[in-house]
Amino acid sequence: MAAQIDDWGQLLTAANAGDEQAYTRFLQAVAPVLRGLVRARGASLGAAGCEDVVQEVMLAIHLKRHTWDQTAPVRPWLYAIARYKVVDAFRARGRKNDLPIEDFAEMLAASPDRDPTEATDMAKMIGMLDGRSETIVRKIGLEGASMSEVAAELRMSEGAIRVALHRALKNLAVLRERHIK
Amino acid sequence: MNTDDLIRALAADTEAEASLSGRMWLVLVPALILALAALWLTLGFRPDLAEIFGNARALIRWGLTITLALVSIRIALVLARPEGRSVVRLWPLAVVAGAATGTLIWAYVTTPAEGLQMAVVGKTIWTCLVAIPTLSVLPVGALFWAARRGATRVPALTGAVIGLAGSAAAAAVYATYCIEDSPLFYVTWYSLAIIGVTLVSAAVGQRILRW
Repeated sequence: MAAQIDDWGQLLTAANAGDEQAYTRFLQAVAPVLRGLVRARGASLGAAGCEDVVQEVMLAIHLKRHTWDQTAPVRPWLYAIARYKVVDAFRARGRKNDLPIEDFAEMLAASPDRDPTEATDMAKMIGMLDGRSETIVRKIGLEGASMSEVAAELRMSEGAIRVALHRALKNLAVLRERHIK
Repeated sequence: MNTDDLIRALAADTEAEASLSGRMWLVLVPALILALAALWLTLGFRPDLAEIFGNARALIRWGLTITLALVSIRIALVLARPEGRSVVRLWPLAVVAGAATGTLIWAYVTTPAEGLQMAVVGKTIWTCLVAIPTLSVLPVGALFWAARRGATRVPALTGAVIGLAGSAAAAAVYATYCIEDSPLFYVTWYSLAIIGVTLVSAAVGQRILRW
């Protein structure tokens, strides 16, 4: 790898040009910042609840990444998406805050040594995708399979897998919208 | 699912999407061509269309409507970005509104008193008030289609600006038919039609530009 790129703008520019590695690094750099932001606002959601929101924001950033103007700074763009989605997520959850207290007790008692970045909403949403989309997202995300491996396994071309993955991620956002509201 | 798994799935999706402005022009241009064709097939162009290019009074309407359309499209493209509402500059709209008002005053002053009423009322108020909103449907629809791929944080305002852009473009199309050459007519009634479309579009934006 050439010189280490730390600048979010450079990473996202490369990512939007199709550089998967730069994109991974961009998302990895952004995730902890988002996590801090969400936890500062919504400690009452618990670690897993916060991570759900973090993942929603990450999905939104992913689906809207083409709205970043490469000549503009990244951070205002990124924080604008985060603010919009965080407010949205808390509003959606606030409306459902009539859960019995026992549920909260259970949540508070959840063992602290759980993976703090483990969240449940996204997994549920993935489960609601159609079978093939679900398989693709699971293989690539959870099992870390490559495009070509998934393509071979599902007997599809890599191009078709690419398109299917893109649609699946868009559908995830639609499902979330419907599910949470 | 933990966040690293999600990142892996997101990073694998390298399908590129067209930029907002590219997408917008891609649909807006055919929409305007269709609107022009529809006008030509129904009302037809004014017979002396070629001759009025020497007539400043008549030409100003294209100056105003096309400027308004271009300015509004630029603003809509900014508003469609997540951080758009903090970086957008709305004053160019005020400049266009000022120019329209100036034109109106100039026409009022230079029109003889006995001709004022006739100039304002003209002969085609209803055609104008029905045709401009109707011709707006395609361009406004095209702009909404493109803006839905954006990420606005102000859906109603973005909808309003889209309505402004689409109906101003529609008014420029309608001007190829419109035989009323007095600014007292066209500034007044075009504006009314444009304001109507803008208000409806604000309500539509509020509903369909959420994400």
